[in-house]
Amino acid sequence: MTKYNIWFFSSIIIASIVALPIITVFLSFFSETSSYYSLLKNTFLYEYIFNSIIILFFVILITFFLGVISAYFLSFYEFPFSNFFSWALILAFAVPGYIYAFSIIAFFENYGTAFSLLTFLFGENNYNLVIPKIDGIMGAIFSISFSLFPYVYVLTRASFHYQSNNYIEVGKNLGLSSRETFFKIILPSARPAIVAGLALVSMECLSDFGTVSFFSINTLTTGIYNSWLSFDDLNTANQISFILLLFILFLFSIETFSRKEAKYHQPGRGFKPILKIKLVGKKALTPFIICSVILFVSFLFPVSQMIYWSIKFPKYFHNLNIINLNLNTLYLVLLASISIIIVSLLINYGGRVSKSKILNYLTNFSVSGYAIPGVILAVAFITFFSNISDILSENLNIKISKNIFIGSIFGLILAYFIRFFSLSFNGIKSSYEKINNSIDESAYLLGYSKVQTFSKIHIPHLRTNVILVMLLISLEVIKELPITLILRPFNFETFATQAYIYASQDLLEAAAIPSLFLIFWSSLLILLSSRYILSKKN
Amino acid sequence: MKKTLIISYLFLIAFVGSSFANEVNIFSARHYDSDVQLYEKFTAKTGIKVNVISGKSGALEKRIIEEGADSKADLYITADAGRLGAFEANLQGGLTSAAIKSAVPSNFRTSKWTGIAKRARIIYFAPERVSGAELAGLTYESLADPKWKGRLVIRSSNNIYNQSLVASLIKNNGKGKVADWSKGMVSNMARSPKGNDRAQILAVAAGEADLAVANTYYLALMLSGKKGPEQQAAAKKVKPFFPNQDGRGTHMNISGAGLVKSAPNKANAIKLVEFLLSEEAQNHIVNNTFEYPMIKGVSPHPLIVNMGLDFKQDLKTKVVNYGKRQADALEVMTAAGWK
Repeated sequence: MTKYNIWFFSSIIIASIVALPIITVFLSFFSETSSYYSLLKNTFLYEYIFNSIIILFFVILITFFLGVISAYFLSFYEFPFSNFFSWALILAFAVPGYIYAFSIIAFFENYGTAFSLLTFLFGENNYNLVIPKIDGIMGAIFSISFSLFPYVYVLTRASFHYQSNNYIEVGKNLGLSSRETFFKIILPSARPAIVAGLALVSMECLSDFGTVSFFSINTLTTGIYNSWLSFDDLNTANQISFILLLFILFLFSIETFSRKEAKYHQPGRGFKPILKIKLVGKKALTPFIICSVILFVSFLFPVSQMIYWSIKFPKYFHNLNIINLNLNTLYLVLLASISIIIVSLLINYGGRVSKSKILNYLTNFSVSGYAIPGVILAVAFITFFSNISDILSENLNIKISKNIFIGSIFGLILAYFIRFFSLSFNGIKSSYEKINNSIDESAYLLGYSKVQTFSKIHIPHLRTNVILVMLLISLEVIKELPITLILRPFNFETFATQAYIYASQDLLEAAAIPSLFLIFWSSLLILLSSRYILSKKN
Repeated sequence: MKKTLIISYLFLIAFVGSSFANEVNIFSARHYDSDVQLYEKFTAKTGIKVNVISGKSGALEKRIIEEGADSKADLYITADAGRLGAFEANLQGGLTSAAIKSAVPSNFRTSKWTGIAKRARIIYFAPERVSGAELAGLTYESLADPKWKGRLVIRSSNNIYNQSLVASLIKNNGKGKVADWSKGMVSNMARSPKGNDRAQILAVAAGEADLAVANTYYLALMLSGKKGPEQQAAAKKVKPFFPNQDGRGTHMNISGAGLVKSAPNKANAIKLVEFLLSEEAQNHIVNNTFEYPMIKGVSPHPLIVNMGLDFKQDLKTKVVNYGKRQADALEVMTAAGWK
């Protein structure tokens, strides 16, 4: 029986807020389309779908290899700096795809950094014609792959880590070579984790806006943006969104399914931790080189390109209001993470004390905010509040200024809330479920009130997870681009928007400094959270 | 307790936001750092605070439209007449003061928006590979001539500068002819369109192509050394060419400002536009962005002067046509397979 109490209603409210964009998109699917949709269907739509699929395919391929190979070496072998690599490889997360894209262009373009480097090393010559031009679809594939492969790495590594050594020993006793052990035992049992990682990569890849728009490639996501803005055709935008969402929901169900399966591979009785094989001399060289190359290409390359620019063009340092940018970022990070976490805690708690099934439905609903690309979320957000405000003022004569939601910090935080609620809600839920209900009963018997039980028993138990969730939200907020770009108020820039604005007006060298700050703060958050991530069981 | 106070304070300012009585709000798709300095000068002079939100033109326009009557935007500033023209339904008349009318020639303004600075879209060539005889009498129209096959670079069709250029061609030659012309252009391209205007000039310098179409200020920007010594050296390997000199003249475009329909600070917005057209502001603009001044009596940057000032500008084709013919322009380019 569902109790219709305050917890029930607040859960419903939160669920509807989070589901706003998805509802807006679905509703408009059934409304009339303009002629643009048929034009689009005949000419561009296939190109959009084709480009999205090509990029997705290669990104999956590359992240699979990068993630699994690095996870394999770092889980089963010990070699020089292997402990360092195990967290340093996650740093690639700190470089968003669009910033990676800036570095690629800067390095490979005519008279770019590669040209300067060759001139410096070998004297003057026209190297432009021999330097490969990495741009367009290829550039996007590389940028997205290198910024997302840590998903596969982290999840695969965790799965390898909790693989019992017993299986591996059985394999050895059966006379399998180490290559056979890998392909027949290790890889199949890590499959759910790998699939989960790849599904996350795919979702982020499909929703990418910054990278593909920088390379001016038309994908489903930029198609939505263009039909919305250039052709003022919201229905078409929403219909392409619908196609994109089908893709994403499909991926999401794969991810959920794989995660459930992964749970069966948790350490049970008879678990023996993996004994790492120590590699020395020549044998250590291969894993060491592979890990170094991955670290270099994914993280050190974009960072050094940005540092090189900052030194070469120091004047842009004075043009930036660094203190302001830092404060703005801190402000958004604090507001977003605090409000999202407070609500997640309350809703989780409500679900617990009212033992309501609604919590489970909410979990499913809350995912929609994360699955939907940020740029579409921002579109739907503006549409929704603009329509609501119009309807209220026309029919009920209630005047609500659109400025409360559009172009205000409040609106921005609300949009972040929609986007990142599931991250926080599910993160806290997973650790809440580990607190046995009988503990609450005992607390009540000891005379604790509900509030005391929450603050003195639940909170300390949840603390680690809350901190981790806070770090992850902060990381996402710092890197977030499309929502902030579209919804931010006057005179308000973050590192992400500042870098993107400079880049879009052909001032890549000026984008270096805000990009570096963004990478610095993100790296710091990754370092802080890496010990939770690496030790986390799922 | 202290924590709660700080947190509630954070949320409070999130809701309230800041609001000044004496201000002007700009939505800017043209967001050079030098513009910000200019706004600071304006504030120092008049006491009017300038608030800016910068972004890509599409998103800014959409926000103004969706915010409707609630929009705080006073001025919409962009680097292309085509944008202002296409956005006219959301602008209002009012930029008709004597100061504006006397400063800006009538083909560069309407009552709703006005040019602030000028730029020309011209041709760049590699003197090593293109002779004077080959160039003689070159027009935008003759870029589609088969003799340039595989020798031309130009950016993509979704770029507004190209859309405005093609719109002006449609205005002068008719849609049918320009459709054929677009096909000729595509078959002359040395590579599939990519990169910005500067990348096109660099492609000519690097030997990837012989001709490039790009705006005037990009070459000056590279020559100035602001883009580093490599690009400065590269820029010296290309030469500018001003097309259509025997006919209507070289294609001109503007950076401009439009007065938004719902502008809450209309008077201040007009004051700011008048300031941007003052001699002081014009000098600041031309020396930082390498554009041509909108008003008489101000000299462009020396690097622009070196490129030549005695060319014939197309003052016959009103820039208002760039917006009117924009959809047609995009259509013919897309139909021709211009990426």
